[in-house]
Amino acid sequence: MEILSLLAHGFAIALTPTNLTYCFLGSFIGTAIGVLPGLGPPATIALLLPITYGIPPTSAVILLAGIFYGAMYGGSTTSILLNIPGEAASVVTCLDGYQMARQGRAGAALAVSAVGSFIAGTVSVVGLMLLAPPLAAFALRFGAPEYFALLVLGLMMVGYLGGGSMTKGLMMAVLGLLLGMVGLDPIMGSPRFTYGVFKLAEGFEFVLVAMGLFGIGEVLVNVERRVAPEVLKTQIRGLLASREEWRAASLPLARGSLLGFFVGVLPGGGAIISSFVAYAVEKKLSRHPERFGRGAIEGVAGPESANNAAATSSFVPLLTLGIPGNASIALIFAALLIHGIRPGPLLVSEQPAVFWGLIASMYIGNVMLLILNFPLIRLWVRLLEVPYRILAPLIVVFVLVGAYSVNNSVFDVGTTVVFGALGYALRKLDFEPAPLVLAMILGPQLEAALRRSLIYSHGDLLVFFQRPIAATLMALAVLVLLSPVLRWGLERKLRELVEPVAPRD
Amino acid sequence: MARRDGIAALVLGLVAGAVIHQAAALPFGGARNPGPGFVPWWAGVALAGLSLLLAGLSLLLGVQVVRARRGPGARRGVEAARGDWRRVAALLAALALYVVALDPLGYPISTFLLVLLMLRPATRRALVPALGLAVLAAGGSYVLFAVWLQVPLPPGALLR
Repeated sequence: MEILSLLAHGFAIALTPTNLTYCFLGSFIGTAIGVLPGLGPPATIALLLPITYGIPPTSAVILLAGIFYGAMYGGSTTSILLNIPGEAASVVTCLDGYQMARQGRAGAALAVSAVGSFIAGTVSVVGLMLLAPPLAAFALRFGAPEYFALLVLGLMMVGYLGGGSMTKGLMMAVLGLLLGMVGLDPIMGSPRFTYGVFKLAEGFEFVLVAMGLFGIGEVLVNVERRVAPEVLKTQIRGLLASREEWRAASLPLARGSLLGFFVGVLPGGGAIISSFVAYAVEKKLSRHPERFGRGAIEGVAGPESANNAAATSSFVPLLTLGIPGNASIALIFAALLIHGIRPGPLLVSEQPAVFWGLIASMYIGNVMLLILNFPLIRLWVRLLEVPYRILAPLIVVFVLVGAYSVNNSVFDVGTTVVFGALGYALRKLDFEPAPLVLAMILGPQLEAALRRSLIYSHGDLLVFFQRPIAATLMALAVLVLLSPVLRWGLERKLRELVEPVAPRD
Repeated sequence: MARRDGIAALVLGLVAGAVIHQAAALPFGGARNPGPGFVPWWAGVALAGLSLLLAGLSLLLGVQVVRARRGPGARRGVEAARGDWRRVAALLAALALYVVALDPLGYPISTFLLVLLMLRPATRRALVPALGLAVLAAGGSYVLFAVWLQVPLPPGALLR
């Protein structure tokens, strides 16, 4: 019963005209950037972060969260109509969604995607609401060794699940840790890697790094490629799927919602992986797997519900443990820090207005997104006609003025441009910038937790393996680290077992 | 891919070397009482190790790529993935100039020039909309940030 009264308190906060406006703005901007290829949620959140400095923290987090989960709704539109994912989490929707559009079933695909996203988003908010408070209470038992082990596991997961090579993911994580060390040492306060530059004594401003890597970096990549999307000339007939199509989509929607919720809770898991896993599961469970890739509605329903559920549940580690699981959540973490609120186990009890206000806004945001995505579909399609060569200068201007406004400094604008060039170089070399950003934000906490643990244990490294929670987390981290080797060994063993029985010529 | 990984391993290996060198100059302390250089030094070592691993993997991959290139169509795939790096270099140069010009020229003029440069109107017909968009972007963002949000953007000689 207590949870219902807290939720009612959250609704009282989220339903104020100001917060409703920010919720609507977040959902609207999120859908727009989800539709537009070449501008993802991390870049948009980074762009809008300076604007949130002047608004109350609850409103700021409602706005930024709306952008994040709103992008998941919008991302499916371009996947279905253009075969171009507006958002990385909608890549897999292209496979069947675009085929459905080519067969004249674009309306059904868009309807299943929007309703599925709504159901999954709502299911995930309920999960977040029920799971977060007990998890936060459990995390209050953590000391420095447990916290260090948790951060190590988080970084390993981000490296492993972040997409691409694990070696590269870990390299980015270490580079992020090192960038986070520039400035004053967290325990003794002595300067490190500042090279006599006064500005560097404060360390790199996280917002500038994120704006450079995701804002300028993305523009540079897109300017090089010059994307020219063409909207599929198809009739978006009847925005409601047939009864058979709803029946076929219902179980994938339910499975996608649950699967997405659990994958999203893992650091590094997030919306992208959950959509791929949901697609694989649906194909595996289908009686007609041969229909996948040729316009199977299950191939749209499963991934689209999974990515929305994961987007919402990725708030669980942020709000309960203070660990952002992906780049967008890391930026929301930064926004809360700027407002003097530290996400973590104490957030639920110390900042109930922020926590329950955000939860309630997610329910409202999901309803708003359903309304925005159903009747306004033609508006979103029109948005795709804005050429990127017009969009790019506007993004750049917003990044530069945003960078300046952080400290009213031209030095910060230069720093953002340098990190933009770094972001471009990283993408060209197939490195994901997300682990770098996450490690940078977690670096000072990780270092402080490690050093405190060692001081407390008189230099005994076994402190991380003798306490049950820390030991479990460290064992999981080692398992994740060794997983590529274990998988390689397992595959080799399986091949050896299969080869002797294989027929010979 | 293998070549790019090799380059990345070399660059990040050099970064790791520099970090280890710099961290060694900081008070290291020990496991009982780690100093400011303790974690950076170990992070540098980890980055060096990972760079070596990536270099090794890229060498292995390089051998496989050489084998694969014997197949038809491989070269075409590589060329198709390439974009126009000159556009990137031009934009980076424009951004560097923007940073230098921001204080002396002021926000409105330098932003107007940057947007115009990015739109690159090639014909006289394209010049008018490009000028309009540049004025709108520079003026609109100035009003939003400097007037509405009270960010003290450098006004330059024009508005001083």
